[in-house]
Amino acid sequence: MIQKKICMLGSFAVGKTSLVRRFIESIFSDTYQTTVGVKVDKKVIQLDGKEITLVLWDLYGNDDFQKIHWSYFRGASGYLLVADGTRRATLEKAVALEERARQEIGSVPFLFVINKCDLVDDWDVDPELEARLVGKGWTILRSSAKTGEGVDEAFSQLARKIVG
Amino acid sequence: MGSAPQRFPGPFGTRSSMADTPKSRPADEPEEESARNGTGSLEELRHLILAPEQEALERLHERIENPESRTNDVSGVVAEAIHLRRQQGGANALSEALAPTIETALRESVRKDPATLADALFPVMGPAIRRSILETLRSFLDSFNQVLDQSLSWQGLKWRVEAMRTGRSFTEVALLHSLVFRVEQVFLIHKVTGLPIAHAVAPAVAMQDPSLVSGMLSAIQDFVRDSFHTGQGQAVNRMNVGDLDVWVENGPYAILAAVIRGVAPRSVRDRMAETLEDLHAEYSAELDRFDGDTSPFADGNRQLSRCLETKFREEPKTRGYGYAWAAGIVLLAVIGGWLGWRWWQYRRWSELAATLGNQAGLTITSFDREHGRFVFHGLRDPLAADPIQFVKMANLNPSQAEFHWRAYYALDDLLIEQRAISALSPPAGVSLTVKNGVLHLDGQPSSRWVSELSSRALLIPGIRAVDLGRFTPEQLAFDEARIRVQSEIVKFPLASATLSSAEVAHLRSLVPSLRQLIAASSALHTPLSLEIVGHSDSTGAETTNQNLSQRRADRIELLLVEAGIPASVLHAKGVATTEPVRPEDNEQNRQFNRSATFRVQTANSPEP
Repeated sequence: MIQKKICMLGSFAVGKTSLVRRFIESIFSDTYQTTVGVKVDKKVIQLDGKEITLVLWDLYGNDDFQKIHWSYFRGASGYLLVADGTRRATLEKAVALEERARQEIGSVPFLFVINKCDLVDDWDVDPELEARLVGKGWTILRSSAKTGEGVDEAFSQLARKIVG
Repeated sequence: MGSAPQRFPGPFGTRSSMADTPKSRPADEPEEESARNGTGSLEELRHLILAPEQEALERLHERIENPESRTNDVSGVVAEAIHLRRQQGGANALSEALAPTIETALRESVRKDPATLADALFPVMGPAIRRSILETLRSFLDSFNQVLDQSLSWQGLKWRVEAMRTGRSFTEVALLHSLVFRVEQVFLIHKVTGLPIAHAVAPAVAMQDPSLVSGMLSAIQDFVRDSFHTGQGQAVNRMNVGDLDVWVENGPYAILAAVIRGVAPRSVRDRMAETLEDLHAEYSAELDRFDGDTSPFADGNRQLSRCLETKFREEPKTRGYGYAWAAGIVLLAVIGGWLGWRWWQYRRWSELAATLGNQAGLTITSFDREHGRFVFHGLRDPLAADPIQFVKMANLNPSQAEFHWRAYYALDDLLIEQRAISALSPPAGVSLTVKNGVLHLDGQPSSRWVSELSSRALLIPGIRAVDLGRFTPEQLAFDEARIRVQSEIVKFPLASATLSSAEVAHLRSLVPSLRQLIAASSALHTPLSLEIVGHSDSTGAETTNQNLSQRRADRIELLLVEAGIPASVLHAKGVATTEPVRPEDNEQNRQFNRSATFRVQTANSPEP
């Protein structure tokens, strides 16, 4: 059995938990996040005929870096960096989070997921920033936990990046 | 061999030093010749001294260089080498070194021909499987007995209520109360990633996903460490919620977490530590480079299962399986009682069936129990006794009885008799009895009724003959005529032997009865004597009265002879006052004694 630890990282209310909930059936209550600061879930996916167990650590989103339990990040094989497409500040925060994550665990595969793409009217993503990040080699996906768009794809792509 | 170069300098490295030795060359010989001769001698000397050594070295060199020779050498000592290694305490390292090769060899053997390995394992597989099944069964029976012990006690009832209240099964509640402790699950968790490496769970324990539990356990460890700023090497080693404990043992690469219900002894932690150490010793390299692939730890689950320990409360020995026995005995008693009661019921009803079968007019053809009711089939005479009365007399419940009768005429004398009485309606004073189908009469039947009886009685089912006995029509006619005749009194006037015209008519009216009497006696072949008795009242002298009474008898005889009655059957006799018809207490009665009466006598008649 192959298992991989994956973390969900992003500012408060960008939709990390909704993405996870869209992806799996959870057995733990969401209150874990506000108490322990993380909720662990699991999803078994098939990748090129191989079964891979993704153990998802959904970290409590906090804009204050000091309050994030970075120790939860240890041992992660990859992470989803999540931002809210309707809040420009969360994208900028994501960039900072990525930098901090790199300091914590080094360069591991990650995907930048800009969530809430169903809210077209409120979409507020700076194309320049997006282009700059792509230029840095980031893989950027748009998703909607509400419609399910891009959710499975995000996890599958990250798994593929991890397994290589 | 190692000391040889010291004693004999090597042929290559030592050659020049020997040649340069001044003592080896004489001073008065030319240098070249001397050198030539010297070299030759030296070579010879060297050959003599070093040849055996040189040959030995060459052989050794060839042996080392030749693979075939090396193989031969190793094959001679390999078994001893392994043995020595084991003695030196390197069994684990040896096993680790050999395991991949042996595994590959086994896999290859199975791939080529599974039968070979199956044949080799056959003698051990059976006992191993049996042992495993026995262990499982014993463990199950122990648990079951514990539960059964408690299920019949007051405590058991309380637990049942608790089970209903908490929505858990009774078995679960009883098991939890009976436990001292049970190590329910053991997780081997990779320290850095928090991923489960191996996991073992006790039988019948509800299991959560190891990945999630391991993740959250790691998160909690990290959380506590972060929150209270403890050292990196320090960790939570125990968590407690209600009667659940989570014990954690820390290793360099992995932690071992055991979920324990109840109060476990220290020895459990020792065993955990031991297991974790063993796992680290065995898989140190794999643990170090663990990246989520658990396949190298295939044997880990088995090793973790060593920690799965269960201990039940020890009950007093005397108690043993008392409750189970008691339950068994009660159950057997109930079943036995129920079967006994059924048998007893059936026996009582069978006895009733026999009783009914013995009753006149009842014949039981079949009897059985059907759906809790007792069903009788048979024949019943309409005059037979009511079967329900017998059910009641036997103190049985009539509602349990079901009768199916077909009507018939029974040939029991009693019923034939009842049937005859019902059909023939005998007059008062007459009784009918039946014996062996023969109807017998008794009492005072009239000749007319008897004459009708003979023809009707034989039509009654069961009566095959009628025994009239003395009640033949001839006898009855005789009796009737005799009674009539003997009751007649022919009266005479005072002191006279002459009848009034009215009395003459009276006498003549008796003639038919007399003729009937004579005819009946003739039919009965009984000789008849009709005595005419003359009476007188008590007035007058006795001799006069004797004479008068005789004349009165004679007068009647004469008149009867004149009326055609044979004189041979008539006998006139005067009895004067010796046989008065009535006591002479008044004039009217006295008049009855001036008369003549009749006395019928046959051969059977008693003497007057």
